[in-house]
Amino acid sequence: MDIKQLFQDIASNSGVSGYEDQIADQIQEACPWVDEFRRDTLGNLIMLKKGKAQSDQKVPRVMLAAHMDEIGLIITKVEKEGFLRFSTIGGFDQRVLLGQEVTVHGKETYRGVIGAKPPHVQSPDEQRQAVKLEDLFIDIGFDSAEEVEGKVAVGDLATINQTSWNLQGSFMAGKAFDDRAGVAAMLECLKALDDLNFSAEVYAVATVQEEVGLRGAITSTYGIVPDVGIAIDVGFGDQPGLQEFQTIKLGGGPAIGLGPHVHPTLHKRMVEVAKEWKIPYSLDPSPYPGGTDAYAIQVTQAGIPTILLSIPLRYMHTPIETLDYNDVKLTGRLMAFFIAGLDNEFVEGLKCF
Amino acid sequence: MKEIIRTLTEAFGPSGYEDQVREVIADMIKDHVDEISTDVMGNLIAVKRGTAPEGKRIMFSAHADEIGIIVTHIDEKGFLRFSNVGGLAPETLIGNRVRFSNGTIGVIYKEKGDLKDLNLDKLYVDIGAESQEEAEAKVKVGEFGIIHREFTDLGNRLVAKSMDDRIGCAILVEAIKQLQDTPNTLYFVFSTQEEVGLRGARTSAYTINPDLGIALDVTLTGDVPEGPRMEVSLGKGAAIKVKDSSMITNPKVKAFLTKLAEDNNIPHQFEVLERGGTDAGAIHLTRDGILAGTISIPCRYVHTASEMVDIRDVEACVDLVKAVATSDLKDLM
Repeated sequence: MDIKQLFQDIASNSGVSGYEDQIADQIQEACPWVDEFRRDTLGNLIMLKKGKAQSDQKVPRVMLAAHMDEIGLIITKVEKEGFLRFSTIGGFDQRVLLGQEVTVHGKETYRGVIGAKPPHVQSPDEQRQAVKLEDLFIDIGFDSAEEVEGKVAVGDLATINQTSWNLQGSFMAGKAFDDRAGVAAMLECLKALDDLNFSAEVYAVATVQEEVGLRGAITSTYGIVPDVGIAIDVGFGDQPGLQEFQTIKLGGGPAIGLGPHVHPTLHKRMVEVAKEWKIPYSLDPSPYPGGTDAYAIQVTQAGIPTILLSIPLRYMHTPIETLDYNDVKLTGRLMAFFIAGLDNEFVEGLKCF
Repeated sequence: MKEIIRTLTEAFGPSGYEDQVREVIADMIKDHVDEISTDVMGNLIAVKRGTAPEGKRIMFSAHADEIGIIVTHIDEKGFLRFSNVGGLAPETLIGNRVRFSNGTIGVIYKEKGDLKDLNLDKLYVDIGAESQEEAEAKVKVGEFGIIHREFTDLGNRLVAKSMDDRIGCAILVEAIKQLQDTPNTLYFVFSTQEEVGLRGARTSAYTINPDLGIALDVTLTGDVPEGPRMEVSLGKGAAIKVKDSSMITNPKVKAFLTKLAEDNNIPHQFEVLERGGTDAGAIHLTRDGILAGTISIPCRYVHTASEMVDIRDVEACVDLVKAVATSDLKDLM
C-alpha cells in the first residue's frame, strides 16, 4: 500500500469534526499493518499493533495520536431567497472563503459557491476589510426557501471542494493536511515497525474533533491509559511574512517539541534516536501545548508522559495547505525507531519526572 | 405546568448555592421516583428504575443554578461592588434589582460616563444602606445575589428570570410526573454550576456513567428584530441541537432524536448555536466517551431578567423527553 497515495485520498475526502466516519473507513480498509481496529464512542479509530513479546509479558504501552478531522462549514439559516447562511466548525481563515466552490451535504450533495459582492459596488471601506463570516452565504442555485425545503436543513454540513496535488519535488498542496499528514506519519511508522524488532503495544489513534477542542484525544486517552503518548500535528512552515524563529523549515524533518507539555526525558530520548539514525529534525520549543492533542493526553487520569512532534506545514487552515511529503516519512521513521528502543525500564523511569 | 414554572423561576439559586431549588424540586418529585440523593457538588439526582432487564441507563440533565452576582467590596457609604457569576451583560443590569439569600433587595446602577465604555466595574448595588456598617449588617463580601424578577404569564409566551435553566428543570419535573413504567433506568440530574463551566454535570456523569446523556437547556432564537442570524424561533417546537461551542452532536444521536420526534408527531427544529454550551458538552467527554444530545428550549433575551419561552415548545420538549425515556436504545449502541 502506498501511504502517500492514501494520504492524498483521505486529504481529498471530507471528514469535518464530528463526521469523520468516512475517513476512518478509508484508513481501515487500506491498512495491512494493524492487528486490531476499534472505534470508540466518539468515533476515534484505534489501531493496535502488537510487538513481538510473549503474551504474558508486561510491555510498554505507547499511544500515537494524530487527528483525522478537518475544519468545515455548517448551515445556520436558509434565507427566503434560497441562499444559505453558515458558521464554521473549527477556525477557518474566513478571508479565503470568499469565491470558493463548496459541496453542501444535505439530503443529497449539492455543489455550490460562496458568493461575493462585486468589487464595482463595494465601498472603499469594504474593499479594505475582509467580509465578516456572518455576511457570507452559499448559493446552490435554488430560488427560494421553499425550493430548499426538504433538501438542505439547518445543521447540514458544507465542505470546500479541493483535491490534493503534487507541486515540485516532494511538495504537495491541498486541504486537510492538518492533520491527515500526522495520520500518514503514523501509518508510515506502523509500516516501518514491520521491519523492526520491538516489544511495545502500539495504539495508533486517528483522533476525532481535535479542531473543536481536542475532544477525541480526551476520551481515547482515558480508554487506553498509555505509558507514553506521542501527538503528531502540524507546525507553521517557513513562508514569506513569518520570521525564521516562528517557523519550521519544510524538508528539514519533524520538529521535536520542548516545553511544559513535553516530558523532558522523552524529549531527550527522541533527540538521541534522531541523531543515532541520522534523521534530520528541528526543535520546537514552546511554553504552550499549542492546541494539540498533546495537552489532552498529558493531563488524562493520573498524568501521561507525552511528547509532541510537528510536521512543517505552510498556509494552515486554508484549502491550499502545503508540505514536503519527505517530512511525513521522516516523522514516521523517527517514531518507529523510538518505539523499537522502548523497554519497561525506560517507561518505569518516566514516572519519576 | 405553569405553576411549576412559576415556582422554579422565582426560587433563589445562583451557581454553587442551589439549595433552595433542590428542596423545591425534591418536594415536587419525591412521590414519583424510586430514589433521590445529592452528591458532593450538590447535584440532585433522582432515579426511576427500569422494568426491562435489557433496558439501558439514560441520564437527563437540567441545571438548577442561575447567573448572578458576587459582592466584592462594600464602601464607606454602603454601596456594594460586585463581580459576575456566569455571563452577565452590563447594559442589561442598569436599573434592575438584585436579591440576596436573606431577602435583601438592591438596585443596580452605573457611574456617570459613556455607555459604550460600560463594564461591570462601573456598576454598583444600592441596598438603601446609609453606611458601611448598615450595609454589612445585611450583606457580606462574598455573598451571592440573583436578579430579582417575578414570573409573568403572557398566554402562550411566558417570561421570567432564570428560565435558563429552570424551564429545563420544569420539563424534567413534568416528565417525571407523567411517565409510567419505563424499560430504561432513568437518572434525572438537576445539576449545579453549569453557568460557571458545566461543573455539576461533569461529576454526576462520571458517577452515573450512562449509556446516553440528554441535556435540557435553553437556546437563542433568531426571530427578533435584527436578531442573530439563526433559524430557531419560538413556537416552532423542541430544538434538536446539532452543534454549539461545547459539543458536536453525534450524527447517530441527532438522527435518533429526529426520528423519535417524527414518529411521535412532536414539533421540532434543528439548532446550530455559535456560542454557548450545555451539560451535554461535559457529559460526552466523560470517561472514555458517552453518547449525548441536547434538547433545547428556544428562549428570547437569554441572560437577562426577562427570559421568554413558548409553552407549546415546552410541552413539545416534555413529550420528547418521554419518548427518549421509553425508547429502545438498541439501534444507538
